[in-house]
Amino acid sequence: MVTVKCYPEAGKVLRIERLNKSYGQRLVLRDLNLTIAAGQIYGLLGPNGAGKTTTINILCHLLRADSGLIRINHSAVSEQTKRLIGVAPQETLLYRYLTCEENLRFFASLYGFRGAAQTQRVQACLAAVGLSDRASSIAETLSGGMQRRLSMAIALVHQPKLLILDEPTTGLDLEARFEMWQLIRQLQREGITILLTTHLLDEAERLCDRIGILKDGHILAEGSLADLRQHIPAQEVLVIQTTQEEKAIARAQELQFPHRRYGSDLAFWLPQPMELQEIITLFDGIPLDSISRQPVRLEHIYLEIMRTMFNS
Amino acid sequence: MKYWYETIAVTRRILTELWRRRRSLVFWAMFPIAVLLLNGLIFAERSKTALPEPLTLGQALERAAPATLVGAALFFSCLGGSVATVVAEREQRTLKRLFLSPLSGVAYFLGIGLAHGVIAIGQTVLVVAVSVMLGATFQGSPLLAGTIILLSILTYVGVGFILGTQLARRTEDINTLVSAFGVPLLILGGAFVPAFIFPKVLLNLAQYNPVYHMNEALTKVVAEGDDLSQIAPHFRFLAIFASLMVVAGWISYRRMLQVERRL
Repeated sequence: MVTVKCYPEAGKVLRIERLNKSYGQRLVLRDLNLTIAAGQIYGLLGPNGAGKTTTINILCHLLRADSGLIRINHSAVSEQTKRLIGVAPQETLLYRYLTCEENLRFFASLYGFRGAAQTQRVQACLAAVGLSDRASSIAETLSGGMQRRLSMAIALVHQPKLLILDEPTTGLDLEARFEMWQLIRQLQREGITILLTTHLLDEAERLCDRIGILKDGHILAEGSLADLRQHIPAQEVLVIQTTQEEKAIARAQELQFPHRRYGSDLAFWLPQPMELQEIITLFDGIPLDSISRQPVRLEHIYLEIMRTMFNS
Repeated sequence: MKYWYETIAVTRRILTELWRRRRSLVFWAMFPIAVLLLNGLIFAERSKTALPEPLTLGQALERAAPATLVGAALFFSCLGGSVATVVAEREQRTLKRLFLSPLSGVAYFLGIGLAHGVIAIGQTVLVVAVSVMLGATFQGSPLLAGTIILLSILTYVGVGFILGTQLARRTEDINTLVSAFGVPLLILGGAFVPAFIFPKVLLNLAQYNPVYHMNEALTKVVAEGDDLSQIAPHFRFLAIFASLMVVAGWISYRRMLQVERRL
């Protein structure tokens, strides 16, 4: 596991140490450690069944951990810490016959906001997610992106210390996704600490200050994108299509370029950036149908970590 | 005060949703009026052959109103409504969102009960108003009549919670459940057919039916002016049954929370 930056204890909004949880015989979380500093966006990545939802359930006091320590803003998880957490679940979970404002007012009242304070909070949340002009719209008439933003406004209504976004852009079109990313960055600028789970690696790459890769209930690797890049000793990834893959692999081995398969793509890690002509020359005599150079992306890192660390 | 505010918030939310679906609201109003008029006309017509002096429509409505109210209107609004609320909450998964909030289980339970109580009061006012307009004059203690209606509401909401949390998982289940459990109980309770024409075996069976006791108790109070001592057996059965249903509804709700308290 790669752990890099150190944040002072005082600035930690979430601290999880050696968290364990099992359902019967099945161990779902094993010795999970995770820390999020104030104002950070932390991306929790992992395949389905890795333990992300179980972790969120425990943080929200919906499930009890078998062992381990959790501190949310220095408090142990309890009914009281529910007030410190806002959750925007993957599904929008709205009262579809209520207006945006009524949805927000209902949840604001559950958190103890009344009268003028409630009105002020509801308006602030609508403004924060850009729905002020749709305050009177019935929730079910909103577009998918707007419903997701309303869901986020509900998560923010009680001014939580930690905002949990569970796959916030899954199922949204590209435009709505960009709007959501903009909103998440805006929230971070306003000082909100965010735990984000996603399957979209480009989303994590764009948004997250730190990323944890979870598999079978254990963090395999953690750090900033720059830190995680250390898992791939390459400057660029070269993806080729050829009818003579074995020859290409043999040539790459001679050149000491590690090779990987990403789905049907054959890829080589280039230790330093190279000119295209130089690359073509290196593969001289091998027919190349296509060739592309990519920077090392989170998806490459993710797959490499899954492959090497999980196997080890 | 926390519980009170939360209860009011839940109640207001349910009623606002109902108000948004005004068509449902119109149907909630149409149903008891239709049953009241049909029952009243049947009573009035039957009295021509069964009684030495036939009943006026107003007198017939005095007898039809209690059966219509506790036996039909409140049954569908409070029992059916509670089941529908819980099932809708599960189906649109807003229950998960509530788990994330500090809303207490007690307030949620009371909020649903209160919301359906408000609908029930609306139906009561409607049934009484239509009956009075058509010449009915009600007797007995309004407090006692109100208590019987309240116990009926509690019974139905309790049963609604049991059915909604334990047996109905989808909206489609509501119809089958309400018709399977409800309609036989209503008929046996004298909501549509007066209990005095039941054969002895059905009458004996009706003694175990809460709808029968609600109906009998309310009819005796508002149509005949009986006091508590005169309806004591019905009232006792109803009070015990209502308490049991509230407790059982609460336990069912707690069980559902344990199972579904996940994202």
